Amino acid sequence: MPGAILRLQSVTKRFGTVTAVDRIDLAIERGEFFALLGPSGSGKTTMLRLIAGLEQPDEGSVVIDGRDVTALPPYARHIGMVFQNFLLFPHKTAGENIVFPLRMQRLARAERDERLAWALKLMRLDGLADRYPNEMSGGQQQRVALARGLISRPALLLLDEPLANLDRELRSEMEVEIRRYQKELQIPFIYVTHNQEEALTMSDRIAVMHNGAFEQIGAKTEIYTNPATAFVAGFVGHANRFEGRLLELSGSMARMDWKGTTMLVPKPRDGRPGGAVQYAIKYEDLEVTRGVNGFDPADRNWLAGTLRDVIFKGQTANYIVVLTDGSEIIVSSATHGLDLQPSEAVVVHWPVARGACFQV
Amino acid sequence: MPERTRRAGLLYRPQFRFACLAGPGAVFIVVALLLPLLSIVVFSFWRTESYELYVDWNLNNYRSLLGEPAYRIFFLRSLLTAALVSLVCLVFAWPVAYFIAKHGGRYRLLLVLLLAAPFFTGVILRVTALQGLFGPIGLVNMALAVFGIGPVGVLMYTPFAAGLGLVYLFIPFMVTAIYLSLVNFNFELLEVAKINGARPWRAFVEITWPLNWIGTAIGLVLVFIPCLASAVTQRFLGGPQATSFGMSLGQQFGETGTWALGSAMGVFLFMASLLVILVVRRTIDLKRSGFTGALGA
Repeated sequence: MPGAILRLQSVTKRFGTVTAVDRIDLAIERGEFFALLGPSGSGKTTMLRLIAGLEQPDEGSVVIDGRDVTALPPYARHIGMVFQNFLLFPHKTAGENIVFPLRMQRLARAERDERLAWALKLMRLDGLADRYPNEMSGGQQQRVALARGLISRPALLLLDEPLANLDRELRSEMEVEIRRYQKELQIPFIYVTHNQEEALTMSDRIAVMHNGAFEQIGAKTEIYTNPATAFVAGFVGHANRFEGRLLELSGSMARMDWKGTTMLVPKPRDGRPGGAVQYAIKYEDLEVTRGVNGFDPADRNWLAGTLRDVIFKGQTANYIVVLTDGSEIIVSSATHGLDLQPSEAVVVHWPVARGACFQV
Repeated sequence: MPERTRRAGLLYRPQFRFACLAGPGAVFIVVALLLPLLSIVVFSFWRTESYELYVDWNLNNYRSLLGEPAYRIFFLRSLLTAALVSLVCLVFAWPVAYFIAKHGGRYRLLLVLLLAAPFFTGVILRVTALQGLFGPIGLVNMALAVFGIGPVGVLMYTPFAAGLGLVYLFIPFMVTAIYLSLVNFNFELLEVAKINGARPWRAFVEITWPLNWIGTAIGLVLVFIPCLASAVTQRFLGGPQATSFGMSLGQQFGETGTWALGSAMGVFLFMASLLVILVVRRTIDLKRSGFTGALGA
């Protein structure tokens, strides 16, 4: 990518014996909304701090807008950053917080005021410029933090779990808002989160991070439907997991044994008969019915069990089914037209090509 | 039965319980603090003659206090000393407090307690120790003599020496005040400032200093007020050119026995200290100091 705004080359950071970020290569393009998704401790925040210049990499280089900034301090990098706990300056008003980066750049007062008006309008903060942070709600504070991060039109905006401290309703509202700002301004956003829904809702591209390295990087639909590793399959979306043994390969499919039941699964990469495999199938790919009737057992895998409970979620419901061996499997399905009762005998089935299977 | 409930009612009444808790302390403050202060104000309008106090209401004490140049010089000298000592303490204490708060880690408390170590002995002993260090045959001058550098006279029995002694005596208060402010300071705000384009010095001026101004101001008051009144340090270290307002005040109650004039000096000193506190109070804008609690009722 020649037009990349941010380029990381083999960036490595160690803390003592722990390698927090391990030889990461990354290129972020103009206008891209990029999500870094991973569990806590996966190194995603460290990576953000390396890009910001708050940490120095042990190896590798950070290039922003064609300029090698690896050795530069944060104040020379021209980036914006938004934090989980907002980190507004408590002794400055919202307006003073927002124009802070412009004052540091010694911008003329007239232009400063003009840009402040623009930012207040963009963030829907009109009339709140004279409030102090402790006089504002969490959502308003986070919008002030966003305005401060964006007002100097930085080369790139880093967001470190910015919505984690907001309540659910506000969060989904802000998800839409943040995506709107990003599309409007065309500034690349790097959004760190452990919340897969946030990553899937907002971003264009996702990197799933685990133990300091990328497990998979790609378009969000690709990550969701085609997980490259068992970790990604387990972390993105909600999936049931089956650990078993590969019996035989047949074309793009493979036959696998799971506790005596034979299932037809997509062929794992480098899979060979006899090897241990893990098969992941998402909740929503499964169906639950009363009996084996209504489908051809040749195109579908099926498992018999007993319905334990139905967790109503609104548009969908989770059906918890106890299989004959005692393990539980969860099916997510639309709530309409199903009148299954707990402790009823049911069959869970799904198309054979669905899911993802990995050599372990 | 009604008798019993009434008595139980009294015991359980919050006002009664509050009076029991706060009463002894309040009585002590009135008897030991306010009454002496009040009596000094009263004495300052009386007259002393041959070591005796006479009830003879007049303003002569204040007249001589404001009229005689010696007292003016003593006061201005004390004022200047207190200002300079506070400033020097401020400049030296900030980096120390900052280092302990930021990098002290689990030794933070220990380091602060170390600052209090000199208080384990009395003030006279500490001042005497300084004489041993800086005096004509003190450690410093003896060490210098080894290199053929003559004794440095300015280190002992000069106003400079008195100032040095005061800095040594009062710097722990300043460090502690600033440290207590800094332990509640969110250092992450400095990272935010740097990302937003502030160089380290600018980040200090914009963020660290204003958010720790209350603690710093408390430190300044804690150093300035006792320095303004101090007598012992000047007497032991200052030599003839360092006579302070506090020394002169002490003499009125001792050698000269002019209690009434001494009381007037005390009232004057009290007013000056009050004025300093009021001036410092004016510089504190709670919102501009990052105060996040409720702003009074």
